[in-house]
Amino acid sequence: MNPDERVPLPPALRGLQFEPVRPLPPPGRRALLLLPPAVLVLFAASAFFGPRPDAAALGWLLGWGASTAETVLGLALLALALREAIPGRALPRGWIGAALGLSAALVAAVSVAAFAASPIALEARYFGYVTFFCISGTLSGALPLLLLGSVLCARAFPLRPGLAGLLVGLGAGLVSDSGWRLFCHYSNPGHLALSHFGPVLLAGLCGALVGRGVAAWRRGPRGAGRNVRPSPAKVGEKGENLP
Amino acid sequence: MGSPAQPNDELLRRLMVEYQGGSEAAFERLYAALAPTLLRYLTYSTREPARASDLTQETFLQMHRARRTYDPGRPVLPWALAIARNIFLMDQRKRRRRIQWDLLETDPPAPAPAPHEEGLLRDVEGALAQVPEAHREAWVLHHVSGLSFQEIADLLGASAGSVRIRSSRAAARLREILQAAGIGGARP
Repeated sequence: MNPDERVPLPPALRGLQFEPVRPLPPPGRRALLLLPPAVLVLFAASAFFGPRPDAAALGWLLGWGASTAETVLGLALLALALREAIPGRALPRGWIGAALGLSAALVAAVSVAAFAASPIALEARYFGYVTFFCISGTLSGALPLLLLGSVLCARAFPLRPGLAGLLVGLGAGLVSDSGWRLFCHYSNPGHLALSHFGPVLLAGLCGALVGRGVAAWRRGPRGAGRNVRPSPAKVGEKGENLP
Repeated sequence: MGSPAQPNDELLRRLMVEYQGGSEAAFERLYAALAPTLLRYLTYSTREPARASDLTQETFLQMHRARRTYDPGRPVLPWALAIARNIFLMDQRKRRRRIQWDLLETDPPAPAPAPHEEGLLRDVEGALAQVPEAHREAWVLHHVSGLSFQEIADLLGASAGSVRIRSSRAAARLREILQAAGIGGARP
């Protein structure tokens, strides 16, 4: 076919609306939209509930330094999700593995170092209350970034919506945990695994479900597709398009 | 076997920018330029020309919805083929589910008779069907659709190195099959 010629479109493609659209900015630039809410989340828990009482024992490196690094990693996961949401820009498996591995390694290293610097174990009598408080606090902190990240992904066209959503959720969870740990002073590994990193994984799962749910809703019942089907074409007796 | 001529990427980018600006004429020109390439890819993937034609139209519908995601600084073909591949995979999943339900209720249908085809193309298509899917896909995207290994890697979420390996394994397997079938000097 000569691309300089206009070819009559098949019936399925007639009647589409051709309103102008603005191309999405590159994924890295879109991720910057998440920076202000991420900073708010980083400061929120310690500003509202007060900083952890053992902050001096941790020092700046294991305190704000480690939390800042965790926030940066969370934002990196969110940026990767936004890139994954562009057709033809699928993330290589190696990148996904490296990002997740680095996140897990940082979190584990910080946890071990924090426990070594300031070993404060959660007493059994407070287990239920504190566990519930930390899980709900971390999840609540993750919610705004999870929603915003999901909207940004959905405005693109993720071909692997579950993966994009998983990265959004994990990124949001990491940012939330980075702020929560500046308030919660219990550093025993059991508490951290259950009440801090458990919600991060749960946020990831929620993100994946949201991503898949939005994609399924878009496809509509039985794959009919919402908001993309052309309006009924007016076709004359000889098959010509009518205005 | 060289790949068929691919539409000029500069022209495609220009058309995409006009299309994003709301030009129906640009969309029609894009259709003229891209439809043969997408149809070819989907025909190789589905091996059913009628189904490939339906999926090509579905691809353009989804491209219309996704048009804001196209970055004018990047080539058009990988973007379009990524959408086409996704349409093909979703259709495959739907068919598998339908077949499972159908098998529960009725006897399996008799296989459709192969359409009458002649020549080397038929032999290559038949041989391709025997190549593992991951290797076949890399080979088709490189040799038929004309994408570079890096573009295929971006499309599939793999590394360029592994795409190159998959494609050359497909080529080696094709050579084996065609030589075993007595098609001398076959170099896919």
